[in-house]
Amino acid sequence: MDELVNWISLRRLRVKREQKKFLDCMGSEFAEEFLQLLLRLMSLFFVLNRNFRRNIQDFNGRYLFKSRDNRITVAAVFKNKRLKVYKKEIDNTNVTITFRDSKALMNYLLSPKPDILGSLLRQDVVINGNLNYVYKFAYMAKHLQLMATGKA
Amino acid sequence: MSTVTLKDIRLRDYSLEDLPLLKRLKEDLLSRNAEVCIERAKYVTEYLKDLSTENEPMETRYAKALAHFLAHKEALFFDDSLLAGTTTSKPFGAPVYPELTGMTIWPELDTISTRDKNPLLLNKAEHELLNFDIFPYWMERNILEYTRTKQHNPECMRIFERLVFFIASKAGCISHTVPDYKVALEKGLEYLIGEAAVKEEEIKKAAHITLEARKQIFFYRAVQIALEGAIAYGKNLSKTAAELAGKAQDPLQKENFSKMAEICKQVPAKPARTLREAINSLWIIQVAIHAENINMAMSPGRLDQILYRYYEEDRRKGSIDIKEALELVGCLWLKLNDNTNLVPETAEELFGGAGTVPAVTVGGIDERGEDAVNDLTYIMLKVTEILKTRDPSLNARYHYEKNPEEYRDRVAEVIVNTKAVPAIHNDVVDIKVLENQGIRTEHARDYAVIGCVELASAGRSYDASSSIMLNLVSVFELAMNNGKRPVTGDEQIGPKTGDPCQFQSFEQFWEAYKRQLEWLVGEAIELNEYFGRTYQEILPSPLLSSFFEGPLQQGTDLIFGGALYNSSGATHIGFADTVDSLNALEKAVFQTKKCTFKQLMQALEADFKGHEELHAYLLNKTPKYGTDDPLAKKNSQNLIRFLYDLYQGYTNYRGGKYRPGYWTMTNHAGQGKLSGALPNGRKANEVFASGITPVSQAARDLSTCLQSVGGLESSCIPSGEALNLKYPYVRGKEDLEKFSQAIEAYVRCGGLHIQFNIMSYEDLIDAKSHPEKYKDLLVRVSGYSAYFNDLNEAMKDEIITRTAYNVGTGQAAPFPENYRSMLATE
Repeated sequence: MDELVNWISLRRLRVKREQKKFLDCMGSEFAEEFLQLLLRLMSLFFVLNRNFRRNIQDFNGRYLFKSRDNRITVAAVFKNKRLKVYKKEIDNTNVTITFRDSKALMNYLLSPKPDILGSLLRQDVVINGNLNYVYKFAYMAKHLQLMATGKA
Repeated sequence: MSTVTLKDIRLRDYSLEDLPLLKRLKEDLLSRNAEVCIERAKYVTEYLKDLSTENEPMETRYAKALAHFLAHKEALFFDDSLLAGTTTSKPFGAPVYPELTGMTIWPELDTISTRDKNPLLLNKAEHELLNFDIFPYWMERNILEYTRTKQHNPECMRIFERLVFFIASKAGCISHTVPDYKVALEKGLEYLIGEAAVKEEEIKKAAHITLEARKQIFFYRAVQIALEGAIAYGKNLSKTAAELAGKAQDPLQKENFSKMAEICKQVPAKPARTLREAINSLWIIQVAIHAENINMAMSPGRLDQILYRYYEEDRRKGSIDIKEALELVGCLWLKLNDNTNLVPETAEELFGGAGTVPAVTVGGIDERGEDAVNDLTYIMLKVTEILKTRDPSLNARYHYEKNPEEYRDRVAEVIVNTKAVPAIHNDVVDIKVLENQGIRTEHARDYAVIGCVELASAGRSYDASSSIMLNLVSVFELAMNNGKRPVTGDEQIGPKTGDPCQFQSFEQFWEAYKRQLEWLVGEAIELNEYFGRTYQEILPSPLLSSFFEGPLQQGTDLIFGGALYNSSGATHIGFADTVDSLNALEKAVFQTKKCTFKQLMQALEADFKGHEELHAYLLNKTPKYGTDDPLAKKNSQNLIRFLYDLYQGYTNYRGGKYRPGYWTMTNHAGQGKLSGALPNGRKANEVFASGITPVSQAARDLSTCLQSVGGLESSCIPSGEALNLKYPYVRGKEDLEKFSQAIEAYVRCGGLHIQFNIMSYEDLIDAKSHPEKYKDLLVRVSGYSAYFNDLNEAMKDEIITRTAYNVGTGQAAPFPENYRSMLATE
C-alpha cells in the first residue's frame, strides 16, 4: 500500500514538473520542445486522470508528426488506453502532420486558440490523412492545456 | 394576372409599433445568444450506432434515423409566436451535422462558448456527449473521410484542403436548393406517403424484381418512413400545445396554444385550409428538411405565390385581416431566424457573419408570363421593411415589361428604408438564362432564388448551386509563377505553363492562364463528383426528394438525379481583381512596355515597396473592369465566356451540367487575406472585390459601371451573379425616383442581379468604431444579408470601401481622406 501511495505521489510530482516545463515552453519564443512535452504530459494525464483517460477508452490512432526540415520526427500511438511515443517514422498512420516549426505546431493546436483552419490557410501545417484524428488530438491538447492552467 | 386588392401597397397604417407581437418577438430574437444544439446529432447517431446495422439498405436506414429523431424531437414553445415548431432545441440554435461539417468544432468544445467571434454556448453535458459519444462514431464515417478512404486521398482532395485554391463544399451536395411546398400544403404529407406506398406496391407486383426495381422499392419505403417522421413531429407539437393550453393562465396565450394544437393536428399530415395552417405546415416541413439536410440555403422560394390561394380564401371568407396576415408572415420571418450555422472560429474570422440564407422570392411573372405581383408580395415587402432581420434573404423579381412601375418603386423604397434588402433579380434575363440551360419556358418563369443569387425552377430543378467556390486569383498567380503560388511556397501545384518572363505576347500569358484554369476546374469537379458519389452510397435524402417534381414519379432519390432538372453550381472569387490584373499586364508589359514582366514580378514580390512609380501607373493608367475601356471589356468577356464553355463541358453525377456563377459570400475577404500583391495595384493580403462587382473605387461613373456589368454575356452566368452597389444616402422623393430609375436602367442593360447598401463611408466607419450603436445594422454582403457587427474585420473594411455613388450625379463620392489607408491599393 505504501508503495502505491509513493508511486502516486511521485507521479503527481512528475506531473507538476512536466506541467511547469510545458507551460514555460508555451511562453518561450521558439517552443522547440513543445511536441515532446505535450505528448509526455498527455501520457501522464492519461494515467492519472480518469476523466481525461476516457478520451482514449476505445480509441486507436496512429499519428506521425514531422517538421518540414526533418529535424523532428515523432510518432504517437494510442492503443489499449495508452499513449506510446516513438522518435521515428511509423507505418499505417491515420494522419501525418507536417509543420513549419514547433511554434507553428503549437499555434496550430493551442495558441491563442485551436486554429486548425488558420494554420492550414497559412500553410504552417500540412495534413495528410484523416482530419478527424487531428480534430480529436487538438481537442485533447487544448483540454490538457486548460487542465494544466487550472481552467478545466 | 396581378391580384392586388390593397388600397395602399405601402401599408402605411402599419408600423412595428402597431404590431406588438412582432416587436416583442424581434426583441427576443436580437437578445438571444446562439447555442450549439446536439439534439439531432444525438438521435441520428444513436439510431445508426445502436439501433440499426450497416447491413440494412442505406435508403431505409437513414430514413429511419431521421424518423427516430423527428419522433423524439422535443416539441418546444419558446415564445408567443403564432407558429409551432423549432429548428433546434434551443431558442437560437446551431445544429450539429457530424456527417458533414460538424466535426470541425471538435477542437473548440472547451472554448466555443467564450470565443471572441460569434460565440456559441455549449453546456458541459452536451460537450461531453459530443466528445465521448457522437464525434468518435463519425471519425471514419463522415462524408469527407469516407470519400478520402474510398478514393485513396486523391490529389484533388489534397489541393482542396489547402483551401487557397478552391472549396468543394462537402455539404454542398445536398443544400442550396428550393423545394416545392405546393403539393405538401395542398394535399398534405399523408397524400405523399400514399403516393409512395402505391408506387412501392406496383413495383412489388412484378414477377421479377430487378436490382433497379429493388432500389426503387427502398426509395419509396424511405420516403414513407421519413415523411411519417415529419408527421410525428407535427403530432407531438399538437399534443404539447394542448397541454400548454391547459396550463396557461393568460387568456391570449391559452387561445394561441389551443389554436396551435388544432393546427398541428391538421398539418403537415393533412391539407392546409387557412393561411395560418399553410404557413405552419410550411414551417414544420422546413424544420423536417433541416433534420435531414444541413441548414445552408434551403430556400422556401416564391412564398407570395405559394401562399396566395390561402390568403385569398381567408380574405374572401373574412376570416383574416391585413394585420393578421402581417403577423403571420412576420412570425415566419422570425422563425426562419431561429437557427444559425455551426462553424469553427477561424472560419468565422475568415468567412463569417452569414446566416443560413433561406431565400424568399417575391414578384415577377407567373408560369403563363403574366404579372404575378399580389397582395402578399406587398405584405412580405412590408414585413421585411419593418423587421429588418438577417434572414430570410428577400429577393424581388422584376419584369420591366410586365410588372408595374409602382411595384419597382415600392421595392426601391424598401431597400432605402432597410438600407439593404431586398435584392433585385431581372426576370427578362433570368428566364432567358434558364431557358438556355434547357429549362422549359413555363418552368423557367417559375424560378426562385437559391441562397444568395442562384436561380432554380422551384421544386423541379436540383441545382446544388454552391458545389464549388473557385479562386480565380489563385489561378492568376499559378500562371504568373509557372504553376506555383507564393502562399504555397516552392511546391509545384498546377501544370508548368512556362516562365512568363519569356512570353512575347499577352496571348501567350492568356493561354497559360487558361491552362491553369482548365486544370484547377478539373480538380474541383473531380472532387465534387467523388463527394456526390459518396452521398449516393451513404447519405440519401428521401424527405427532401418528396418535395421535388421527379423523384416520386421515377422512384429515384434527388442525389441520383431524380429531379426534373439537374445541375451543379460553381462560383468564382476574385473576378474583378483577375480581370483588372489581366488588363494591367496586357497594357503595362505588352502594349506600353512600361515595365518588363520581370520588373512587374519584382514589384509584386516587394508589395510595391520601392516601386511606387510603377504602382501609381498600374493603379491609374491601366484599364479597369466597370469602365467602358475596350480592353477591360474584352478581358472580362473572354474570361466569362471561357469559364462558361469549360464548365458546360462537364456532366455531373446526376446527369446535369455544371453552371458558373459570380457571387462570393464573404470568401473574397478571406481569400484576399491570403493572396499576394496583384498587377492591378491591389496590395498583398487585401480583400478582393465581391461577386461580379468592379474593384472598389475603380469604376467612378455609375452609369458606365452598370452598362459594363450589365453588358456581360448573361447567358454565360447561369449560376447567378452578385453586383453590390452602395449609395451614401437616398433622401426625399426625387432621390428615390432616381434610385428606382437606376434599377430600371440596369435591368434594361441586361444585368441579372443587383443589391445595395444605402450607407455612407462615414456611417460605416462609425459603425465599425462604435459597434454598440449599430446592434442590428443590416448590410448586404455578396448575395446575402448580415449584421454588420457579426462580420470579420476584413469584410467590414470591404463593405466600407465599396464605391459609394451619389444618387444625384451618379459619380463616385470621395473616400474620406483620413481613412484612405483602408483602401486595398493604398
